[in-house]
Amino acid sequence: MPARLTLRRPRAGARPVRRAGGLRLTALTTAFLALLAPALSACGGDTASASGDATLKWASSYFPAHWDPVVAGSGAQFRQLALVYASLTRTDTSGKAVPDLAESWEYNDKGDRITFHLRPGLKFSDGTPVDASAVKAAVERAKTQQNSALFGDLTSIESVDAKGLDAVVHLTQVDYQIPQLLGERVLQIASPKAAADPSKLDQQPVGAGPFVVEQLVPGTKVLLKKNPDYWDAKNIHIDDVELTSAPDTATVVSGLRTGVYNFADIEPSQAKSAEQAGLDVFIQPGFNAANISLNVNKAPFDDDRVVDAVRHAVNRKEFVDKLTFGHGEATDQPFPKGYVAYDPSSADAYPYDPAKSRKLLVAAGHRSGDIALDLVIPAEDPAAEIVQSQLAAVGIKVTIKIDKNWATPFFAKDLTFSLYSTTGRDSAVQTLTAHFGPDGPLNLSSPYQPAGFEAAVAKVRRTPLDAPDYPKVLQAATRAGLHSRALVFTYSSPNLFAKSKSVSALPKNPAHIDWTGVAIGGS
Amino acid sequence: MLRRVLALTSGRIAVGILAVIALLALLGPLLAPQDPLATSDNTLAAASGAHWLGTDYLGRDVLSRLLDGSRVSVLGSLEVAVMALVVGAIPGILSVYLGRVFEWVTLRLADTLVALPFLLFAVAVIALLGNGITQAMLVTGALVSPLFYRVARAATLSVARSPYVEAALVSGASIGWVVRRHVWLKVLPPLAVAFAQTIGVGFVIVSSLTFLGIGVQPPEPTWGGLLASDLGYLSHQPWAPVVPALLIMVTVWAANLLADAIRDVSGEAGRALVNSRKARANRRAAADPVSAGGTR
Repeated sequence: MPARLTLRRPRAGARPVRRAGGLRLTALTTAFLALLAPALSACGGDTASASGDATLKWASSYFPAHWDPVVAGSGAQFRQLALVYASLTRTDTSGKAVPDLAESWEYNDKGDRITFHLRPGLKFSDGTPVDASAVKAAVERAKTQQNSALFGDLTSIESVDAKGLDAVVHLTQVDYQIPQLLGERVLQIASPKAAADPSKLDQQPVGAGPFVVEQLVPGTKVLLKKNPDYWDAKNIHIDDVELTSAPDTATVVSGLRTGVYNFADIEPSQAKSAEQAGLDVFIQPGFNAANISLNVNKAPFDDDRVVDAVRHAVNRKEFVDKLTFGHGEATDQPFPKGYVAYDPSSADAYPYDPAKSRKLLVAAGHRSGDIALDLVIPAEDPAAEIVQSQLAAVGIKVTIKIDKNWATPFFAKDLTFSLYSTTGRDSAVQTLTAHFGPDGPLNLSSPYQPAGFEAAVAKVRRTPLDAPDYPKVLQAATRAGLHSRALVFTYSSPNLFAKSKSVSALPKNPAHIDWTGVAIGGS
Repeated sequence: MLRRVLALTSGRIAVGILAVIALLALLGPLLAPQDPLATSDNTLAAASGAHWLGTDYLGRDVLSRLLDGSRVSVLGSLEVAVMALVVGAIPGILSVYLGRVFEWVTLRLADTLVALPFLLFAVAVIALLGNGITQAMLVTGALVSPLFYRVARAATLSVARSPYVEAALVSGASIGWVVRRHVWLKVLPPLAVAFAQTIGVGFVIVSSLTFLGIGVQPPEPTWGGLLASDLGYLSHQPWAPVVPALLIMVTVWAANLLADAIRDVSGEAGRALVNSRKARANRRAAADPVSAGGTR
């Protein structure tokens, strides 16, 4: 029952008391406001704090659920974990592997062994030395730990020999992609001492990265301070980091405007209001690519004509316009235009043509409405509604099913029809094998792979990255992969960020968030 | 009962609003001016002649989606209330007559259900049974049922201990006859109050679950789902959540108003209230006649 409120009439005799109380209240309020004013002014704005510390206040919708890099895997959260962990290599603005913990590396003549030379005198934040035995432990843990999300990425690595500061990596095949592979995406190196208890490491991360965790509230917030022992500490100008799980996309911009945060990843729908609020809105280059995943081992996708009908039914522009507000790009490959692995000759191989799509379905013996599919996704996604409406236009009935346990049937390849978005990989070969390889986690049709793909990928692995024909060989592998009937790429969402003007520009490392050289409030 | 409820201004307002909402649930999908699922390039458009409430993020007509979504929203809340009534009221009455074991078990069960957070429980059950409005509403109905259990049990207890019921039992009347003849009449009014109130509660629950994407699969529209999707585009359409929020608010308010009205007019006190109002109206009419054809 709703409560009833009764208005009380004030007693006549109460007046003097109320007056005295009112005076006290006024005095208290004045004093309170006088105390509060400096505090409030400190809350607003976006400069460094009064103590002179440069604090990064980052609101992220990708707050890591796991802080053990082996468990976190190579998805989007690697950017947050990179605050704590360093790796053998990192990537520069061209996406090429450059030294990180390893100051150099070299292959043997045959190309099936690579030796990384670590920087001397480095240590993890718990005091454990950064040496080849730490690298060996990291690789072995990634390959053997039961809940590892990385073992599929390290199939080229047979073993690691630890020789002081030299980590000698023996390969199962000739593979010149290893420096690209063993970067922040795949091999963030944790202290072997802390990693002896992986469950503890998962909530108390210990690395040799630019920052050290001071406090971690799982799923909510992490406070970090600058690591003075980081090998490139002189180029880190941020003293403290407050990484917060973004409560809601709609509130992030107001948080940025009021100084609660000074850096955030934002949704395309928020870009306009962020710009209007006077924030710096920018797109970090990256490898984002969304796809429609088909299982060609199951009907109706075991018929090539139905697969082709889906390919021609997809209007990529609609995804870009409605989901990215024009900030994204249509794509039919897992690489952005201009990237070394992008194959121009494969562009627009299946243009939007609903009439052709309908004809293909008729040729396959399907009348309009004959095909009814369940599109299984993990959470509400407007992309699914667009797929549903585009396929309905050619006579394929799609029912969207949200399955909170989606990951299990998806990675077990039990689903027939789903959606996936990737943030890409630093190694183009890793991207290709993940999507098109027989065991690729993103290949819903495993063990299917397109003809010629395996040979094309092997050739890329055998080609040094600085060889003149490397782009041509790599693009040939992309071309072979794109013959896969299991994936229809749709659009690339932007890596959209907003920051206050006090935060200086970030290096444009594709798909990475690199804090090297970034200053806050002139720090 | 309905006549007595309609005798009250608050009752008439509540019934009027709920009748409109019921009509929306019945005819809403037919009244929708456009296909509620048809997307267009005209996304996040402002209100216009073609789209009275504008369009959403996929260019769908918002008015059509609101009208189409009214059936699921209303039926969902009714499912909650009916489920709670059936699961709660019958054991509540029987707990007085079926012995100590049944009484103890049902009381503990009711206590347990009250302690469970409905949202988490609904999410857990949906994870087990699959995401659907029926599963969500049945689970929620079971969680709300202790209200009916307690109301029915309290009313039954008060009747069961009255001398005329004891006399009937001594005279050889069966428990079934006593329940039908005496208990049911006493239990119905408080159950009607609880039912009206639960429709309002059910509405909030349906809206909350669909707001969270639980219960209804996209792109099927619901009022809660529309509210949730509108919040993602506040910077483009700050007014968009107003209409679904108002619909939810007014419906819940009307259900609560109806519950209040039923409570006010039920039982002897209610009868006396209505009679006194009628008497007052008659006295006023007799003392202050309006001249035929004249105005004042």
